[in-house]
This record gives sequence, structure tokens and C-alpha cells, in this order.
Amino acid sequence: MRKRSKISLVVLCFFVVFAASVFLSVHEVWSADKTIRIGAPLPLTGPLAPEGKKIQQGYNLWAEEVNKKGGINVGGEPYKVEIIYHDYQSKTPRAVQLAEKLITEDKVNFLFSPFGSGATKAASGVSEKYGIPTIASTASSVAVYDQGYKYLFGTFTPNQTLTDPMSKIVKENVPNAKKVAILARNDLFPMAIANVMKKSAEEQGLKVVYFGKYAIGSMDHASALTQIRAANPDFFFATGYVNDLILIRKQMADLGVKPPAVGMVAGPAYKEFVEACGPLSENVLSASWWHPAVRYKGTSVFGPTQKYNQIFEKKYGHVPDYGHASASVAGVMLQLAIEKAGSIDPKKVRDSLASLDAMTFYGPVRFGANGQINSLKPPVFQIQGGTQVVIYPPEIKESEFKLSTK
Amino acid sequence: MKTKLVGLFVIVLLLLIPIISNNYVIRLATMMLMYSVFAMSWNFIGGMAGYPSFATASFFGLGAYAGALCQVNGVPMFLAWVIGGLVSAVFAWVLGLAILHLKGHYFAIASLIVAEVLREVINSATGITGGGMGLNIPVLRMGVDAQARLFYFSMFVIALVTLAVSAYVSGRPLGFGLKCIKQNEDAAGMTGINTTIYKTTAFTLSAVFTGGAGAFYASWVNYIDPEDVFEILISIKPIVMVLMCGAGALVGPVIGAGLFLFLEELVWRNFLTFHVGMLGLMVVFLVIFLPTGLLSVDYRKFLKKVVR
Amino acid sequence: MAATLFFQVLVNGLVLGGLYACIAAGFSLVWGVLNIINILHGTFVVIGSYSAYYAYIYLGVHPFISVVLAGIILFIIGYLFQRGIINRVVAAPVLITLSLTFGLDLFLNNSLLVVFSADYLKLNLANPLGVLQFAGIYVPVDRLAAMVLALFLTCLLYWVLEASRIGRAIVAVRMDREAATLMGVNAKHIYAVTFGLGALMAGSAGAMLSVIFPISPIVSTLYLSKAFVICVLGGLGSVAGAMVGGLVLGVVESFGGLIFGPEHAMTISFCLLILLLIFRPTGIMGKKGYE
Repeated sequence: MRKRSKISLVVLCFFVVFAASVFLSVHEVWSADKTIRIGAPLPLTGPLAPEGKKIQQGYNLWAEEVNKKGGINVGGEPYKVEIIYHDYQSKTPRAVQLAEKLITEDKVNFLFSPFGSGATKAASGVSEKYGIPTIASTASSVAVYDQGYKYLFGTFTPNQTLTDPMSKIVKENVPNAKKVAILARNDLFPMAIANVMKKSAEEQGLKVVYFGKYAIGSMDHASALTQIRAANPDFFFATGYVNDLILIRKQMADLGVKPPAVGMVAGPAYKEFVEACGPLSENVLSASWWHPAVRYKGTSVFGPTQKYNQIFEKKYGHVPDYGHASASVAGVMLQLAIEKAGSIDPKKVRDSLASLDAMTFYGPVRFGANGQINSLKPPVFQIQGGTQVVIYPPEIKESEFKLSTK
Repeated sequence: MKTKLVGLFVIVLLLLIPIISNNYVIRLATMMLMYSVFAMSWNFIGGMAGYPSFATASFFGLGAYAGALCQVNGVPMFLAWVIGGLVSAVFAWVLGLAILHLKGHYFAIASLIVAEVLREVINSATGITGGGMGLNIPVLRMGVDAQARLFYFSMFVIALVTLAVSAYVSGRPLGFGLKCIKQNEDAAGMTGINTTIYKTTAFTLSAVFTGGAGAFYASWVNYIDPEDVFEILISIKPIVMVLMCGAGALVGPVIGAGLFLFLEELVWRNFLTFHVGMLGLMVVFLVIFLPTGLLSVDYRKFLKKVVR
Repeated sequence: MAATLFFQVLVNGLVLGGLYACIAAGFSLVWGVLNIINILHGTFVVIGSYSAYYAYIYLGVHPFISVVLAGIILFIIGYLFQRGIINRVVAAPVLITLSLTFGLDLFLNNSLLVVFSADYLKLNLANPLGVLQFAGIYVPVDRLAAMVLALFLTCLLYWVLEASRIGRAIVAVRMDREAATLMGVNAKHIYAVTFGLGALMAGSAGAMLSVIFPISPIVSTLYLSKAFVICVLGGLGSVAGAMVGGLVLGVVESFGGLIFGPEHAMTISFCLLILLLIFRPTGIMGKKGYE
């Protein structure tokens, strides 16, 4: 008797699961027509959550602004924009799965890629398989774009466009600069940028006297910093995410590591870094693909850069950083391409993106043959008086490079 | 007789999924089968022998990397899966000899830490494994739909083999011996059971299919990184699945896997940023109110009560 | 030069070890007395950090004073969790208790993420404590102070267990629950107090660490994994063991990072741990529990 009830329960359970899976597959059908659906898998929980949140703010701002102005004009007809977010929990394979879910089940027309070069590379295979135009808003590694894919477009120029000007500034401004120490997080983007920094520095005739890696999740950098202090570099360059760099900057002070120039990527562009480091953030050098101080006479939905900053500040109460801006411009690019194509057909929009040549608040937008943007000149900045001021390129610089005080 | 009919019915149902569903549902079903492989594998050591093993992530990650590295170096996909399984099995045998003399918490911690060590080792062996940059596995040159179905049926076969081995073991002296060990290890040793061999065999069995599933996973998602395949949740999920349906039962793990995936998907869809918290609440609820599993509830009695 | 490097790394390791020990003490207590692996511990530390951070921002309370405040808040949270939920399964096998605290942690941590967001904060003192320097060796005062405070708290905990009424009751329940109950000890209450004390230690540690480490719900797993390693190193469930385990781990990581490169520092400590488990599962101190 009991045994039989168990078996019937097994069958019951199975039916429930099965029925539910079928139900789940059909209940989300095309929503109201005249809508462009864009899928965005983002890391909203897990270690990358702070970054994921930024990107989401950037996308939302764009969608809101477009819809406020009546939507995207597709061959004379206005289309509303709807972004479908899914959380991939900072786990790359989950991002790949979600890209497929967004395409096959949520039936999105276009895709914004997941965060960072690694996840973007992994997910780009899916969007390529289905032929869905995808904008990568946070991928800089050339390896992502050199896969021969046709449907992937990115908003970041290659990494050395950041490290070349930085090492040049150090060489020109630090008296007698000879030695460089590099400390990198053993992770895709931080390692990639550390490696190109090594190359850039060597091209400037600087010698790399220390090159160390630290594990993801390190809570202590004292050993590395003690060795760096002993090596006495003229320029110390650390890579990682905000939390790593806050800790490294703090421990530098703890251990008396005081090189004349300190460079960090990718934390100092964020206000969290400056707030968390306090006075210690002073004179930290960094570079990013965009900065609120740049001035471009954009013609798209946001108008010129000043206008973008204004709209952003009104909504979120603080100045945007390059993460927000890159996400917003990903939307703008898609919009421009759709309007130019006069269609939402993936193939046409793809071709329209490939031949895009427009001015936005983010800068001029043109893509290379591999889909990576090649029209940008990333600004180099330094934290002076508690805020990021641009010191390169000369056209937009707000201040001169300052040496760290001994 | 009845059991066989039910089994047949379930199998037919599973075979029907790829015909009537879209790629995403097939992906979910594949995932469910993979979860059930985890749960059935864990059952060898955790359910039958009663050892609180948290080694699933180690076996899975090791298998994934072994298989992926084979494939990157030109080994055919199916062979790479077999190698992934074998590498994990050998590892489990050696590891088992080292840590299976530990009991309770000590064993739990040792098995948990192994995944951390493996992750760090693979992370720092950048030259071979790509370290934190992850590893890209060659993509199959075939259509999207065909690919989804190929992977689904492959996982189906792996799950079926795991189930068959479970059934075989539980009816043989090995299964009996393991149950004795669970009851009272010292007594089992005195009755002439070679407890070391028995436990190590169970541990190895729990690794071989998990490792194979790991290698499968690498081919399936085309990209792995250490943070992902050695994730601690991979060790915890199968335990929850088995707990859901009562430890030690044969088909329990399979149903548990299905239910778990369903619940996971349900909360994940409905709570954009709070799905992890909801999953946590579910686990808490399960542990407190149904510590012996859903199958232990006498539903007929319950239903009668409700009706009256 | 080489001597300076050696001593600097040794000092780094010892100071770091002091911080580690204060993370692990409460975890060890709960493990030893209740036989529960408290996955919530890392999240408790983070709550302590947030308490200290906001107390400093809004009330101007120095984080070293917030240690008391954070301790009290966490004691209450811990007591309620144990009394309301965990007590139901306190005698169950490790799988059950571990799954339960794991589930609770998923819930609590996700709640923190929703409330505080994942953005990293750090408490910056208006008057930084500065750095001590002698013979070319640098010692940051905030770490040193946190270490001393942690040592003091751990000794206090030890004293409470040894000398106070409630402490003796805790030890009694640990040794023999039935007998203690017969003697009129309310075991449920004692369990809850013990768990509360563990949470209190976590909260105090969090308050001290708020001036040292970035604060975010995400870092809880880092604290938890350190607590794990330290407890096994020092011997499960002994406060003195947590102290020794913490210091050993700090020194091993420091020298490991120096000799093998920073990326291997954690791997080395994990390997050490596994070897220890295989050959000497009772830990360095070789003593179990509070007998």
C-alpha cells in the first residue's frame, strides 16, 4: 500500500515538473507589437554585482529617454524599447545559457552582451549562431573580436589604447623614471591589461622590475607590497576590481610603499573608489574609455556630453562614469543603426551597424572590420582634490600630471 | 511490475521532450538530467555509506578540465567525456584512501576544501589551463537544434547508466556493505567487511559519473573557468536534491533533481535580484519541516484529512 | 636588507594572523559547543562592519567603540536565529545543520545585497591612526589595535566560558546535554546564548575590520573560508586553537606569498590544511572542545 502510494507520487511529481516545463515554454510569447525587445544578461548578484548594477543603470537611462521621446523610428513607425534583464549570478556559463534563453524563449530582437571580456567572448558564440546583433558594452580584449564573428560590436577600444598614453605620461613627467612594478589580479581583464602595460612600459624604455599576480579573493597584499617596496619602482601599476584596489591602496600606505607615480585600473574611475580610499586616492593615475569631462557634440538621443551628464545626474544623483556611459551608448548605437536601416531585421541592422559613422555624447562611433570601435581616444585622468581630472589628451585636459608626494 | 511500468513511462516522457519543446526547454531538461547524475552519484557515498561528502564540485570541475583539455588537444568529444570520468575516478580513489578514515565534520571539511585546492591550482597553472581567463572548447560544427538534441540524448544516456549502476550496486553485497557501514562502521568491520575498500569504491563511483558530466558540461557550454566549475553550490545542490526525497532511495535523487531545478527556475524567473534569497528560504523550509524528504509524507492520509 | 624583508614579512603575517584569529573565534565556539558549522558567520561579520560604518558616518562613533554596539546587535540576531530556527535541528547530523545554516545564509546575504547594494564601502577615519616604524619595519597602527582588541575579546570569551555561571552552563551542555538538563540548565536557552556569543564575536570582528577591509555583502564568503581554515588548523572548537590557527595561517600566507608568489599564497594554506586533516585531524593544538 505504502509502496504504491510512493510510486504514484513519483509519477505525480514528474507530471508536475513536465507540465510546468511545457507551460514555462509557452507562457512567454510575443508581447505587445511595435516593441523592440533587447535581452541583457547581467551579473546582478555575486562578485560582479556592483559592475552589473552600473551597466543596468546605463541601459535603463537610454531606454527611458528613448521611450520618452516616442521610441525608435523604424521606417516612419515608432517602436517602444523594452529591455529584458536576467541575472547570471556572475557565472559565465550561466550567461551563455541566458543568451540562448533570451533569443529562443524571450524572442529578443537584439542582445547586449554580459559583463567583461570573458563572458562576452563566451556568449558571443550563441548570438552568432542565431544571427542576433549584439553590442558588447564592457569588452576590450582584441581576442573577443578576432573570432571572426559578424554580429558582435563593442564600445571599448583595445587595452593598449589605455596603457600607451599612461606609460608615456609617466616617462615624460617622472624625473629619471626607470623602474616599473606591476601587480595584477589573476583574472581575464586585469591580467590582459597588466600584460599590455608591461609592453607599453618597455616600449617607453622603462624596466619592469616586479610583475606579480594575486589570486581572486586575496585579502592580503602585504608580501607583494613588501617586495615592491624593496624594488623601489618609479611607477607602480596595480590592476583588479574596486575592492582589490581599495585594499591595495590602503596596504601601500600601511607598508610605506610610496612611488612617485601610482597607476590603477579599473577602480579609480568609479566614485566608490575615491570615497572608500579617502585622501589615499589622491594622485592615483588611471585611464578609461570615457570620462564625464570629455566634450562631444553628439547628435543622438542624449545630445552633447554635457546633456548626458545632466540627464544622468538628474536620475541617479551622481556623475556618470565610463561604465554607465558605455552601457548607454550601446543602446544609442543600436538605435542609430536601426533608424539608418529602417528595419528591425537582424541582418539589415547588422550591416547598418558595420557601416555606422556617427557622433554621440560618448565620442565618434565607427567600428573596425572585427566589430570593435576604433574611433575613440580614451582619456587618461588623475585623482586631484578628490575628483577625477583629465590630463590627456591635450584637447580636453583639465590639469597637469602631479607627482605623488613622498 | 508496477515499478517497471512507471520507469518505462518516465523514460518515454523524457524521450518525448526534445520532440515537443524548444531549445531552451531542452537545455533545462539536459540540466535536470545532469543534476540527477550529481544526486545519484552523491547517493553512493552520502546516501548509501552515510558519509557527508562535499566533493561533488571537485569531481565535476576536475572532469570538466580533463575533458576540456583533451578536446582542446584534439581528442574526440565522446572519448574526452570518458577520460574526464576516469580522471575524476582515479583522483577519487587516491583521495578516498587519504581522507575516508575521517568522520563527520572532519570528513565534510576535508572533502569541501579539496575543491578549493583544485580551483586554486588550476587557477594558477595559467600556462596549461588559461587560469582565471578560462578555457574555450571547440564549438561543434552543426545546427543549433541538432546540437541541443545531441547533448540532451548524451546526457540521457549518462543518467541512465548512472541509474543502472545505482540499481545494480544497491542490490549487491557492495550496497549491503555500505548500508552496514552507515549503520555502524565498527560493527561492519568486525563482520568481515573490508570497510576501506567498500568506502573507497563508493567514493570512486560517486566521482566517475560526476566527472563524466563535468567533461560533458565543458563541451556543452563551450567555455569553463575555475570559479564556475569548482563552485561550492555544485557540492551543496545534490545534497539538497537527495534530502528532498529522502536519502538512500533509488529513484529519489532523480525526482529530487527535477523538483529542485523546477523550483530554482521558478524563483529565478520571478525574483530578479532576490532569487538566491528565495532559494535559501526554500532550503530552510525543507530542512525544518521535511527533514526526511518529500517522499516520507503519507499523501493519502494527508489528502484524506484535507478532503474531510 | 634581507633581514628587514624577513622581519617585515613576519610582522605582516603576525598582524594579519591576529585579524584572522578574531574572525574565527566565534565560528570556533559555535562549532565546538553546538557542533554546528555556521555558514552564516561571514555574513554576521559583514553586518558588524556595516553597523560600525553607519555608526561612524551618522553618529560619529569611533569603530573601536562600535565593537560593543555591533556585538550587541549581532548577539540579538544570533540569539533569535538559534532560538527560533536552528534549535529545531540542533541534534541532527551535519548534513542537516549545514544545509540549514547554508540556506539561512543565502537568505540573509541576499537581503543585505538588496538593502545595502553590492557597492564597496570603507570606513575612513578623520584622523588616521598612522603607521609605526622602527628599523625599516612598518606596522600599521589600525591593524595592530584591531589585533590587540581581538586578543582581548578572545581572552574575555575564554574567561566567560571558564569563570561565569553562563559559561559553566555552556561547557556543561557541551559535555553532556542530558545531565546538564537534569541539573536544571535550560539547554535551548544555553544553545541560543552560545550562538549569540558566536555572532557577537563575529560582529565585533566586523566592526574592527571596517577600517581595514572594504565592506560589501559579497566579501562574506572570504571571511567564512578563512574561519574554516583557521578552525581546522587550530583544532575544531577551541578558542585558543582559533588564536594559534589564525597566527599560523597569517604567517604561512605571508611567507608563501613571498617565496612562491602572491597567487599561490592561498593554495599553500589549503594544502597545509588537507595534510593536517589527513595526518593530524585534531589540529595543531591537538585538543578538542572545551573540556
